[in-house]
Amino acid sequence: MRISLCLYFFLVFSIGLWCQPDTVVIGFGGFESVAISSSDPASNPRSTLDQSGYLPNENAAARFLSQATLGYSLSNIVEVTHTGIEDWIDAQLAMPIGTDLTSIVQGYLDETFSALGTYDGASRYLYWEYSWWQYHMTNDDLLRQRVAMALSEILVISEKSNFGNSAFALADYYDILLRNAFGNYRDILQEVTYHPSMGVYLTYTGNPKTDVSQNRYPDENYAREIMQLFTIGLFELNNDGTRKLDGEGQPIPTYDNDDISEYSKVFTGLTWADGNWFFGGARNDTSYLSDLVMWEEYHEPGVKNLLRGEQIPDRNPVDGNADISDALDNLFNHPNVGPFVSKLLIQRLVTSNPSPAYINRVANVFNDNGSGVRGDMAAVIKAILLDEVANNCNSADDDTFGKLREPFIRYFHINKAFNASTLSGEHKNVMRSIERQFNQKPLSAPSVFNFFQPDYQPIGPIEERNLVAPEFQITDSQTITGWINGLYEWLINEEVVDVWQIYDGEPESNYLDEVSSLDFSPHIIYTNDDEIHILLDRLNLILAQGRITDSTLAIIKNALIQYDNESAEDKELRVKLAIYLIMSSPEYLINR
Amino acid sequence: MTKKSISRRAFIGQASCAALGSTAFLSSVLNMGLINTLAARPHIIQNSGDYKAIVCILLAGGADTHNVLIPTTTSDYNHYLATRGNLALDKDNPSEVLALPGTVGDKTYGIHGRMNRVLDLYTQQKLSFIANIGTLVEPISTKAEYQSNAKKLPLGLYSHSDQIMQWQTSVPQNRSAVGFAGRMADILHDMNTIPNVSMNISLDGKNRFQTGNNYNEYSIKNNTDENNVGFKGHPSWWSNSGAMNAVKNGAINNMVEQEYSNIFHETIGRLTQQTSESIEIFENAFANVVPLQTSFSDTNISLDLKKMAEVISVRLRLGANRQIFFTTFGGWDHHDDVLNQQNGMLPQLSNAMAEFQDALEEIGMADDVVTLTISDFARTLTSNGTGSDHAWGGNQMIMGNAINGGRIFGEYPSLAIDNNELNVSDRGRIIPQISVDELYAELALWFGASPNDLDYILPNLCNFYSTSGCPAPVPANYGPIGIFAS
Repeated sequence: MRISLCLYFFLVFSIGLWCQPDTVVIGFGGFESVAISSSDPASNPRSTLDQSGYLPNENAAARFLSQATLGYSLSNIVEVTHTGIEDWIDAQLAMPIGTDLTSIVQGYLDETFSALGTYDGASRYLYWEYSWWQYHMTNDDLLRQRVAMALSEILVISEKSNFGNSAFALADYYDILLRNAFGNYRDILQEVTYHPSMGVYLTYTGNPKTDVSQNRYPDENYAREIMQLFTIGLFELNNDGTRKLDGEGQPIPTYDNDDISEYSKVFTGLTWADGNWFFGGARNDTSYLSDLVMWEEYHEPGVKNLLRGEQIPDRNPVDGNADISDALDNLFNHPNVGPFVSKLLIQRLVTSNPSPAYINRVANVFNDNGSGVRGDMAAVIKAILLDEVANNCNSADDDTFGKLREPFIRYFHINKAFNASTLSGEHKNVMRSIERQFNQKPLSAPSVFNFFQPDYQPIGPIEERNLVAPEFQITDSQTITGWINGLYEWLINEEVVDVWQIYDGEPESNYLDEVSSLDFSPHIIYTNDDEIHILLDRLNLILAQGRITDSTLAIIKNALIQYDNESAEDKELRVKLAIYLIMSSPEYLINR
Repeated sequence: MTKKSISRRAFIGQASCAALGSTAFLSSVLNMGLINTLAARPHIIQNSGDYKAIVCILLAGGADTHNVLIPTTTSDYNHYLATRGNLALDKDNPSEVLALPGTVGDKTYGIHGRMNRVLDLYTQQKLSFIANIGTLVEPISTKAEYQSNAKKLPLGLYSHSDQIMQWQTSVPQNRSAVGFAGRMADILHDMNTIPNVSMNISLDGKNRFQTGNNYNEYSIKNNTDENNVGFKGHPSWWSNSGAMNAVKNGAINNMVEQEYSNIFHETIGRLTQQTSESIEIFENAFANVVPLQTSFSDTNISLDLKKMAEVISVRLRLGANRQIFFTTFGGWDHHDDVLNQQNGMLPQLSNAMAEFQDALEEIGMADDVVTLTISDFARTLTSNGTGSDHAWGGNQMIMGNAINGGRIFGEYPSLAIDNNELNVSDRGRIIPQISVDELYAELALWFGASPNDLDYILPNLCNFYSTSGCPAPVPANYGPIGIFAS
């Protein structure tokens, strides 16, 4: 009964909503987790109701994939129209993880050794990027990849740091995020805290206890940032992410400098697993593969006051790991974590300004996945992506809904959408010249505050409504032209990746086989002037889930038909320019 | 460009804080002869050859500036030594501390031993230090005031994200999207003759310092030139490349110029449009840059400053009578290894500033450009092992022929942990006694802002000057720093 009512209302009221492309998508109408489409057999039999319920049409499937993946192709879109969104998510959750990045890095070292008989000459500094690219171009765990990327922008470390060119430092850290993308947030905090890369990045490896005689006190760096950025944020939050206010209407700070001082005592005594003195550095680049270890004699003894009146007892003997465990539990169980982390994840996946109600729904799942488990990432991700706000047409037509697509994700999308392939099946990309176009690539933020901050407000209508748009923080005249010129390089000049030798003297024949090329062939048959609208419709679906409006498509078409269409090269150029223009358009750049 | 409701007339109407009739503040303004009549200003500027630029170098991460400017008078140095412990530099070793010439009052100071070029600039009276400056909402003179709730503290004191923001906005009680240079542009943009070209040029992308209510910065990189500042075109060997580039770029412009109801569409469209509108002007300007004779080091900060000097050299082609430049020199968050890191980084800064000053002399603009450093905060005086943690008041540099050089403005604080009214922590965190507002106010006036504009540009300023429009009296030691007063 509710289905038909919904259908009725939808058909009545949806006329003219441009969220409705040529096939009619029915909104969720209160049916959580079920994608509903009308039967419209004439235009799209796949949208027909089947036994498992309504399925998303192609645009709805593409929209979902734009939130749930770093990039996707037409075949992924078709797949989701067949499986439905929830089943697709479930299949992704069940999909085994690929070969870890650390092993891929080791593979390049092995390859170097077998070619040269030595590791000297290995271009180690490339291997982090290579391992990331190889993993992401060859594995189908698209949801895991998207979530790991989101986590890497919350629990930030960066190659713009002091890792001594150790690819393992970055690869092994990213492996935590891939491995735990559907795990538990408490485990992520544990693994991150003990990872040498975080220890180096936020400077608590070799961090000793207080020595008043020397005016020496514990390093406060991690204590501050784990609270401000990784768990609770600066202000007490309601479960819907809004700030609690004191009697005078002011927000309530979650901690003060005394609290920082207390937590800084907790993160003392950790150093390298293979170190032979506490203050030593990394012995070699594989030092990053082992968790930090506790040297009790350097750990601050005594009581530490935690937030919300909790206390670490005066352990005798000193037990630094137990102290850290207590402190992480204390932070993890803070009521802020649910709304704080949920909001950040929603911002990374779906929209810059989630409503309190949306945050509340997701935070509820963070707080309890339904089986009494707190911090269950799989449940949280499902809650974010299956929420009606992520899927329904009301949000898509809301003038404040959406987010600027992250530039790196746009770039990655090109590689997926046009089936980047290599002769060898191995994929390599240093991503350095790509990064220079738009100031983003995995694990390369300028600081622990990420490429952009969650509360960034560009001036103009967003700021005027007191809303935020984090990704605009890296959107300036340089990166705007950089993006458009990057498109020219990648598409029209066909220089889609950066590939360098993995060791000195690697034969060109080796690495040229690993240079990607894009495949435009499925689109080339639609470049004639009278069929070019078909080309644009297809690209609109694959790249922009059908959100490019007719007026923009008309501008693009008008430009394309001024280009020749004689030779095969001409036709391919029309396709490439169509992509170039679509991906330069505001309606593509904003994901909604 | 977005046109919000602010207009110059509105500012004038609202002006109260820095209204005429102020005492110390006004007299310093009068001394400088900087009061402009608002109505006359645009006409005066256009053909006068009057040009001024401010260059802001953000030392991101919070530089440990108590090892940049070091007290060397025995009693003060002993406090320094005791407090800094293993982070202390040896004042008698010139590779660690270079003595500044002369005395300040009856005291002597030194600078970090790797900053030879800064020492030269100081000696030549082209550079001064500002001691114990920091973010403040209102004056705080004692630890007791800090601890009482009577005084408003900067939001998120000791946190990077907040303090780095507040140095740029100078509004430490809020998280504001707009900054000092952005508000200057809101007021003064019309002094420039090409409306589409921003007064604010960034070598580090988006930043709050240069974000105004009405104007964005224009971002370039230190490798930006006439060949890459715009949209890449079809190769010139195409017979019709010019026409086809016009088609391609025209399509981009047509797309971004559409009206959008979604605020994200509108924002990205407008940003792209602004960029596009400036391109031709910048292409033309960069094409006319004459290579500088001054040689610059191959470091990012040097190359950033070199690019600024090049832009200044072609200012007329940009229609610029006023420009504010911004860049970031990052990596100063030395929780670890601060001594070695500063040994590497401070000479880069020192050399870059000197090279920039040389280049400005070369192009004849050294009288018209003032360069300053800012940083999130200074760091704890005490050590955490090999580094230091987040603190508050610190020391900054200001450079240019227009300033009173070879000076230390403000009072260098005692670095004692105990019995020190300005120290608020066992770790050594010093309450700044000069506010960012005071520095920026003098820059603003030198730059050509009217006193009537100051309450828009620096909303908290009246907390630091006793003027007729201000609600409460302020301590006598607050007021003009004297950077430009002669």
